Amino acid sequence: MTMRTILKLIASTAALHLAASGPVLAQDEPITIGVQAPTTGSEATYGKDMLNAIGLAADEINAKGGLLGGRQITLVSGDTACDPQQSVNAASRLASQEVVGVVGGYCSGATQPTLKIYGDANIPFVIVAANSTQLIPANPGNAFMINSTGADQAKTAVDFFAGKGIDKLAIVNQGDAYSQDLANLTRDAWKAAGHEVSAFEYVNKGEQDFSALVNKIRGSGAQAVFWTAYYADGGLLIRQLRQRGFQGTIAVGDGSNSPKLFDIAGRAAEGVYAFSNPTADFLPAAKQFISDYQAKFDTAPGPYAPLAYDGMQLMAWAIDKAGSTDADAIIKALGSADGKEWLAGPISFTPQHTLARSNFVVLEGQDGKWTRYQP
Amino acid sequence: MTWYDSLLQQLADGLVLGSFYALVALGYTMVFGVIKLLNFAHGDLYMTGAFAGFGGLSLVSGVLGAGWLGIFVAMLLAMLAVGCLGVVIERIAYHPMLAAPRLSILITALAVSLVLQNAALSLTGGQYTAFRTDLGFGGLSLGNLFISYNQIVLVATAAVLMIALELFVSKTLYGRAMRAVAIDKDMCRMLGINVSAVIAITFFIGSGLAAAAGTMAGAYYGSIWYFMGFLIGLKAFTAAVIGGIGSITGAMLGGLILGLLESFGTHIPFIGSEWKDVFTFAILILVLVFKPTGLLGKSEVERM
Repeated sequence: MTMRTILKLIASTAALHLAASGPVLAQDEPITIGVQAPTTGSEATYGKDMLNAIGLAADEINAKGGLLGGRQITLVSGDTACDPQQSVNAASRLASQEVVGVVGGYCSGATQPTLKIYGDANIPFVIVAANSTQLIPANPGNAFMINSTGADQAKTAVDFFAGKGIDKLAIVNQGDAYSQDLANLTRDAWKAAGHEVSAFEYVNKGEQDFSALVNKIRGSGAQAVFWTAYYADGGLLIRQLRQRGFQGTIAVGDGSNSPKLFDIAGRAAEGVYAFSNPTADFLPAAKQFISDYQAKFDTAPGPYAPLAYDGMQLMAWAIDKAGSTDADAIIKALGSADGKEWLAGPISFTPQHTLARSNFVVLEGQDGKWTRYQP
Repeated sequence: MTWYDSLLQQLADGLVLGSFYALVALGYTMVFGVIKLLNFAHGDLYMTGAFAGFGGLSLVSGVLGAGWLGIFVAMLLAMLAVGCLGVVIERIAYHPMLAAPRLSILITALAVSLVLQNAALSLTGGQYTAFRTDLGFGGLSLGNLFISYNQIVLVATAAVLMIALELFVSKTLYGRAMRAVAIDKDMCRMLGINVSAVIAITFFIGSGLAAAAGTMAGAYYGSIWYFMGFLIGLKAFTAAVIGGIGSITGAMLGGLILGLLESFGTHIPFIGSEWKDVFTFAILILVLVFKPTGLLGKSEVERM
């Protein structure tokens, strides 16, 4: 599937390129863009989704005549496997292939160490999904986050739980940069709002048995559980919580709002809430995008597809605005993003290069799929 | 929840976890007993067993449904398939190395582990596979204590498998041969025992038990992936060492003790759940320091 998608991508961009090119001048050279995404490993579903959406954006740009007066975009992908070590290898490889810019970045833990690599190589980087606040101080100045950060999500979570009349909250994370960051931010915000954190727990990635943890949560008198990590283990936790008769509210962070959560947790996922970035289904502007994506890849776009698509489009916009492939000019152009409407809403940046607004929505699991929650 | 309820609940949970550890630990200990090899691929046979059980269930669920009956048949199919895989692995990877230094065969075992893991990685694309069953969430509620029917069936199945193994080893001809080979291979050969066949049977049974644990874990937890064998392989090894590696009853005991330790370890005051594994492996170190032969192991001069 991955290889086939990549090959298809290369074949289609190559075909377009051949059709457009006459004699090869420097002006006709393709513009190489790196795509950093986890296409294997536990988060592969999201990674392939991002790769698809970025490929779709690149194909559309190429079909309209490319960038800088006719230069086509060629994509090269680097698989991070959501693993800090593998992501460093992938980023080094992309940097050595002299990419003009990099789009992607999922799993904050795996994205963080790549910031230095792209910073040293002075490559503009549009981070489309990773949103830990720990990325902000690690950013050498060349990276831009178009997803709202963990702090925005923590605020959405606190407002949601408080609105449900909950006082005692159990927070569970997995000890990686993303889920720990979200857990810490939520704990602090929850306490600051005058409520009680009755359990603050941690589970090992890949662990299957959460029975002891579930007992501890039940024993703590928690009225709600907030899982801040990813869907694969989250699905197991939700299942075991409900199996053991936990009746309270369960909510999961944006790493868990995949449709696959319903596969793993089954009926237990009914009535579970999720905080989500703007997914295609809830975006009025995304109708055309959904049908194009569906037609091309024969599957519905996943939660990060619109952001990934926007990331590629934003990078292309910045290259055209810079008028060259010069890194400093592109970084300057990205920084000047002016609140223009994209698929997932307007993009403009704070001085720390984070999105200048919160884009989180609350979803509820109903009949095996996510629907927009209306309080 | 009173401390009393909480104690009973952890006891029940510890038993479930311990049953998985014990079934996997048995394979470690049997193989070690017979050819003195720490079969590091054993955790991955557990993973392979989970996928084989998943495949088996999709085959039979049309006829038998995806309830306990279907899962039971799928489990038998998985035991058969992975048992045969265990024998093939022994033939191809370990048999030619039996005369080689012990370190070489240990490295071969690590290689087999990587081969199985990466084969599963490329076949599944590294994705989680949902193990869909029709098992309900029902159970016995005694006050605050909750034990699901699934847990009861699971522990009972594990107990039946372990009793069957104990009977096989202590009462049958092949079981006797297995114990004899564990003590002195050369002498057995001289007395006309087909040592290769006994080793093959040992691998078949050990791998089959791992597959049984894998299938049950898949059905119980609801999702399987290529890396699921790593942590449990490590913990089952710990269980085998605690019980005394090479001893079958030791492996069962070690598995149950480890399951209980983990379950209670999460609840030690002032120590959070993040310390659970530290606690588990600290016990392993203590056992190795103070009783290197484990609880039921016999002392032997040469050790790996």
